[in-house]
Amino acid sequence: MTDQDSYIHLARPLPVVNVPPVHATTGPLSVLIHAQALFSILDHSLRRNADQDRVIGTLLGVRSEDGSEVEIRNCFAVGHNESQEQVEVDMDYHKTMLGLHLKANPKEVLVGWYATSPELNTFSALIQNFYASNGEGTFPHPAVHLTMSTVPGADIAIRTYISSAVGVNQDRIADSCLFVPVPYEIRYNDADRSGLELVAGAKNNEERTVSVMTDIHALERAIEDVLGMLDRVGHYVSRVVHGETPGSTAIGKFLMNTLALAPKVAASDVERMFNTHIQDVLLISYLANTIRTQIDLSNRLASLTATATTTAAPVVPAVAAPATVTAGGK
Amino acid sequence: MAFVSGPLKSVRVDALVVLKIAKHASSAHPQVITGQLLGMDVDGELQVTNSFPFPSADPAASTGDFNNDNNAANTAAAAPRAKANAWYQAEMMRCLREMNVDANSVGWYQSANLGNFLNANFVENQYFYQSTLNERTIALVHDTARSAQGTLSLRAFRLTPAFMAAQKEGKFTSESLVKHNLTYRDILLELPVSIRNSHLLTTLLHQLDSPPLPIHPTPFSLSSLTPTPLFPNFDSLDLSIDPFLEKNCDLLLDSIETHYTELNNAQYHTRQLTREQAKITAWQTKRKSENMLRAAAKQELLPEDEWTRVFKLPQEPSRLESLLNSRQIEQYAKQVDGFTAGATAKMFAVNAGLMKSD
Repeated sequence: MTDQDSYIHLARPLPVVNVPPVHATTGPLSVLIHAQALFSILDHSLRRNADQDRVIGTLLGVRSEDGSEVEIRNCFAVGHNESQEQVEVDMDYHKTMLGLHLKANPKEVLVGWYATSPELNTFSALIQNFYASNGEGTFPHPAVHLTMSTVPGADIAIRTYISSAVGVNQDRIADSCLFVPVPYEIRYNDADRSGLELVAGAKNNEERTVSVMTDIHALERAIEDVLGMLDRVGHYVSRVVHGETPGSTAIGKFLMNTLALAPKVAASDVERMFNTHIQDVLLISYLANTIRTQIDLSNRLASLTATATTTAAPVVPAVAAPATVTAGGK
Repeated sequence: MAFVSGPLKSVRVDALVVLKIAKHASSAHPQVITGQLLGMDVDGELQVTNSFPFPSADPAASTGDFNNDNNAANTAAAAPRAKANAWYQAEMMRCLREMNVDANSVGWYQSANLGNFLNANFVENQYFYQSTLNERTIALVHDTARSAQGTLSLRAFRLTPAFMAAQKEGKFTSESLVKHNLTYRDILLELPVSIRNSHLLTTLLHQLDSPPLPIHPTPFSLSSLTPTPLFPNFDSLDLSIDPFLEKNCDLLLDSIETHYTELNNAQYHTRQLTREQAKITAWQTKRKSENMLRAAAKQELLPEDEWTRVFKLPQEPSRLESLLNSRQIEQYAKQVDGFTAGATAKMFAVNAGLMKSD
């Protein structure tokens, strides 16, 4: 993944004047991918037609102001047909879908496209030129091409590229391009975190399912995890102390920083703070429960009077004089 | 579905949908957002495999004054049953069907803030889905504020048959409540939610979680020590309890106020009814004695049921609001209860831990 590849990005000078501006700048660019986009691509790959080797789609996201950073937030599938000689991409579909997406997410823009095969061929170049083109494409910004291999049983390899023009004459430039690999990073939103945590919880599960946890279960799990980590750290430290494993300065520093975070408070202060807080919490809990009972009571009384009036009223409306029931709410 | 196999028992949500909803909800927080759920119904288990957001109200409205904002929020909340949205919905589903997505509507989703989703809009949306579109549909509620605290809060709801029947009649008088045997507890039916990953996703997750081993056996810099993002987060160990409780109490108090107003309305109606009925009784006795006199004078008798034309019994106010409000209060109370259970446990733990180190 990211760690496997190391990058040195050299911006190639743009072709000289007589070339039409199909390709944007090739300056350094870093790509951030949100987990949601990756999930979407995988889903699409699962739903491809049986005879298709790869599927493609459009990437949506936001660009930083200077254009040096692209955040891929969302994507949608686009149908295409590939044969030995030619490739057909459903452009109308792409346009309709883009319009629909922009309506719901006005902040996101077209940033590039994805394919679910690591291969880069002539067709890739053609499609890339479409996405990078002036007008409908991402011009003057570079279009990002993301490949994600989805071969069963193998690692999922993700690569990101931008392109620059290459070719000896106009025609060649139109149907070829040079893919320049760019580094990427997978980004996790704060909002995604709780969801991702739960999703990740299912990964060691035979059935690949997990049910939504309650707060108290989550707390229990978190505490168990912390205890486990403390055990591991304790084990590691004692091994280092006994000289069984070589120590690491980084870990040592990290542990020291962490230990320094422990607050220094007098025992009486802790006791006082604890007592006031626990009283607040318990009081609120008590009140909440009282309110619940009261509401239940109030509703029962209301329905009781209703039954009383409905049974009495229609028969002898003149005589029915329901006692004013005060269904006390508070 | 050609065959109907019993009531819906559970809801299974794909990981993709969870992330989509979470992203959509947090992007507009604290405004309410809504969207469409797509999937399939397999033997009583509703499988939600995809979703798309409904376009929110005009983005320009967010710069407007408070009043404008309020309107925007309302249109977003009413979006699932809005006419203007039908086109968007149909078009999106047509497009997704081309890409082999399970393009059947199985419900809708909504974001909420500390469980404050129980209102007329919610009920009307779900009624719209269950009555006109497809009986077997659900409403998924994603609680943005509670999810930010570390535990994902995603709940699935359906309206109960009793409530559907009452809503169909369109009136919520005490009489109809008794008839349908409807109390605030059985407006909604909650279904258990589980989350499922595809095989490919499981591969990806495993890969993200265990990056290839670095060349050096022990890390040499602090940055390489930061935990992988998919690591269980420890937000649920957070000790700041006051803001959450404060917010909850505010909401609870607001609800109680509403309850009080509703109660006053109901009492006013009861008093009015009694007064009117007393008048009717007076009128009837008067008419009776008059008739008695007329009978004695051998005159024609006056009709005795004329009072229906003379007097009009006051209309009973709708009880829907108070029902929903009661359910909402119950929800808040449960929420507070659940939270305090965790909070007390954490506080005792902290207390014990700090004491020892002293």
